Amino acid sequence: MPMSFMPKPDMPPGALTLLILRVLQSGSLHGYAIAQRIHLLSSDVLAVEEGSLYPALQKMLLKGWVTAEWGISETNRKVRFYRLTAAGRKQLQAEISNYDRITEAIQTVLRTA
Amino acid sequence: MGELFRRLRYLLFHRRFDRELENEMEFHREMAARHGRQNFGNTLRLREQSREAWGWTWIDRLFQDLRYAARTLWRSPGFTLTAVGVLTLGIGVCVTGFSLLNILVFKLLPVRDPSSLVRLQRRSPEINTPDTPYQSFLFYRNHTKTLSAMFAAMGGPAMELDSELQPVSINFVTANYFTELGTEASTGRLFDSAREDAVNAPPVAVLSHDFWQKRLNSDSSVIGRVIHLNKKPVTVIGVISEFSPHLGDQFAEVYLPIKQQPYFVEGSTALTDVFSPGGVRMWGRVASSATAETAGQELLILTNELRKQYPKLIWDKEYIRIDPGGHMAIMQPEMLRAFALIAALLLLIFIVACANLGGLMMARGVTREHEISIRIAIGASRKRIFRQLFTESLLLALIGAFSGLVLGCIGLRITAVLADGPSWMSFAPDWRVLLFVVGIAVVAAIFFGLAPALQIARQRQRKTIVRQLLVGAQIAASCVLLIVSGLLVHAVLHMMRSDPGFGYEQVIGISPGLDGHGYTPQAAQNYIDNLKGRLLGLPGVTSVALSKISLLGNGYTAYMTEDIGGHSVNIYPNWVDTEFFKTMEIPLLRGRNLRPGETHAMIVSESLARRLWPGQDALGQKFGDQKDLVVGVAGNARIKALNDGDAVEAYWAMQPSDMASMTLLVKTAGATDDLPPMMKSIAETLDPKLFPYIWLLKSGFRDYTKILENTALGVSVLGVLAVLLSGVGIIGLVAYAVSQRTKEIAIRLALGAKPMHVLSVVLRQFLIPVLAGAVVGAIATAGVSQFLRKILFGISNLDPAGYAGGILVLIAIAATAALLPARRALHVDPMSALHEE
Repeated sequence: MPMSFMPKPDMPPGALTLLILRVLQSGSLHGYAIAQRIHLLSSDVLAVEEGSLYPALQKMLLKGWVTAEWGISETNRKVRFYRLTAAGRKQLQAEISNYDRITEAIQTVLRTA
Repeated sequence: MGELFRRLRYLLFHRRFDRELENEMEFHREMAARHGRQNFGNTLRLREQSREAWGWTWIDRLFQDLRYAARTLWRSPGFTLTAVGVLTLGIGVCVTGFSLLNILVFKLLPVRDPSSLVRLQRRSPEINTPDTPYQSFLFYRNHTKTLSAMFAAMGGPAMELDSELQPVSINFVTANYFTELGTEASTGRLFDSAREDAVNAPPVAVLSHDFWQKRLNSDSSVIGRVIHLNKKPVTVIGVISEFSPHLGDQFAEVYLPIKQQPYFVEGSTALTDVFSPGGVRMWGRVASSATAETAGQELLILTNELRKQYPKLIWDKEYIRIDPGGHMAIMQPEMLRAFALIAALLLLIFIVACANLGGLMMARGVTREHEISIRIAIGASRKRIFRQLFTESLLLALIGAFSGLVLGCIGLRITAVLADGPSWMSFAPDWRVLLFVVGIAVVAAIFFGLAPALQIARQRQRKTIVRQLLVGAQIAASCVLLIVSGLLVHAVLHMMRSDPGFGYEQVIGISPGLDGHGYTPQAAQNYIDNLKGRLLGLPGVTSVALSKISLLGNGYTAYMTEDIGGHSVNIYPNWVDTEFFKTMEIPLLRGRNLRPGETHAMIVSESLARRLWPGQDALGQKFGDQKDLVVGVAGNARIKALNDGDAVEAYWAMQPSDMASMTLLVKTAGATDDLPPMMKSIAETLDPKLFPYIWLLKSGFRDYTKILENTALGVSVLGVLAVLLSGVGIIGLVAYAVSQRTKEIAIRLALGAKPMHVLSVVLRQFLIPVLAGAVVGAIATAGVSQFLRKILFGISNLDPAGYAGGILVLIAIAATAALLPARRALHVDPMSALHEE
């Protein structure tokens, strides 16, 4: 897999997909809004760049976790909105529980070692 | 599943997807700018990275490489044309060979349900024959459960049509023959079981389309007409459609129901007596509930039951061999060697073409040094360069292969028209040929493109070792072809000039076919005595001999394979009368002639004597299981195996019981040509129901030489093709070497070097590969030429003339090819050459 699929080095691998899935849970968004939302919700810690956002979205389209449909942006421009599919919801659940398990395990190690 | 579907959908609509992505990313930038953030980075590169998720980028790269390759080839038309020409010849020859093989053994004939059709033949570990007694066939047909149907055909001597001179070939077939094959009639009807198997069915005939067209001028009123075959009236009922194929070697001009065989061949017991000469060829249809294997097991059981009925008929360990029957030729183990030999010769041409092109590619790599180093400098990986160069080779190979295919198809079509091939035969390439073409193109690209592409991508194209290896390889392969053609040409010359060891120019053969008409030995004795007496009364006839084995132009070949001193030797036996040696002009070197009817005595050929008792006197020795006493030694006369220099002969005295199967050999003093009609009328007066076959031995001999001449011609064409290809390759490489060293040559000339010296500078690097190639080729030929012995007509497979001839032609052409461009080196003008760079 080419390097470009990886988000910024400070974001653990696979986290970007998880975040995108999560922010789409509450409704469909266009690409820029996804990046904005992650940026805002993380209190400006996480910045998602074009170079990692769009490859990740393409991969999710391929996997069938999201679908794209046309919508109108706040600036009145025709743009693609991404919406979570049923498979995407299932993936989100799986990734969240997986993520919880891993962080818990890491926490345990950090606490007890 | 869904993922694959989405992936394919992307491939289909990738332009739209790409536009949407572009639009989206543009929007992203607009929004970012609005929020006061700047995005940097190459948008094209970002888009490309996003697209990679779909996994189709390799197609883009492939198309890029192909476009680039096409442009590069287009820019150097001289190289491209040479390369395509070389490949067209090299690959075209192989594709044509494969197309023929495909037509012969792979393609299914357009008969009804060809895949369930099987050919059935009697076999045992020692004996094989295409024929089965008719009664055995009936036994199998009545008892088999694994075959849903069985049908058969029985050949026979050509018959006289009305009172025409030219006889017609006939085939007796079972009444279900045409219905089982799904053969259609173009007019009238074909045989059907209900009518032709009925008791007292009238004699009827079906004509082949070819015969109807050529001999009867497509006369449609022929249906219902009575014609006479061997003076027997028979009604024509139909003509076979021109689009219906015949099975393999079963072509005949006229087909007759097998039940009518005794009517046409009076006195024949072929249908009732299992021991009478002649038999049927059998086919079957494997039932849907069975396989060829279960059918084989069942037929073996039936064969063993048949042995109870005819203990003497069924051989030890006899079985029925089952082959797929729906093809032009049934692949027999005996044919494999011939096919392998042809394939090897074609492969040599292929190797020459590939090695040749490989050399040219290497040379071209040097002229492209600039381009490659620029591409590497601006960031192309070696892998990418290699892939690009190899794509170029692949493109070249595919162009060459498909133009070779076109050339081959045209060649086959022309041959078919010239040779009057049947109209149902199709030469259009099918999927097997196309697959072969693509496959051989890939193999060729690997052969000629892989090494140069690797060397060039690693920027090592100036190394000469690979180039020298390639020159050596093509010289070696051409050398093999030239030596083989040299051997064959020598064999033809030898055959034409030297004495074959027997006289055939003045001999006429007469085969009365007494056994086929149920003659007893006594009746045969009377007939032959009468005929002999009348023949000796003809003007110019000097002697008449009898021979059980028919010679030159008629009859079958039988031989026994004996293991002598670790070598298997083919001994050709014959049973003859006292006149035989005199009539055939075979000298009796030692001992005496055979006495009439004597047993336990034999004459061996000098070659057999030398093999069996080297350095000893053959006279008085005992031969074989019967301990036959050798009473004489005859000169070598490989009449039944002219082509096989290792064949030897043995003769025994004919016995009275052989009488019905004897052939007469008539020697004349003058011209032979007007005698056959006279002999025919004599034979007719003796017994009108016989139709003896009369032929000139010299025409049989000519047919034999014709085969050899054609083989020699074919191989010589391949040899010349190979050496010309190598010549072109050498011209290219030497010209390149001259252009590379112009400066060096100019300096040498300016310093006063002699012409010979200058030439040697250019040519030295080719001397060793050419010589080494020739030596390797000669050694390789000597190593495998054992296989050729049987077709060399007595020339040794290590014949010095053949080898010397082949190598001389090779060296001469290689030297000419090298000197032509090398001369340019001598005309280099030192001043201008040194100014140029």
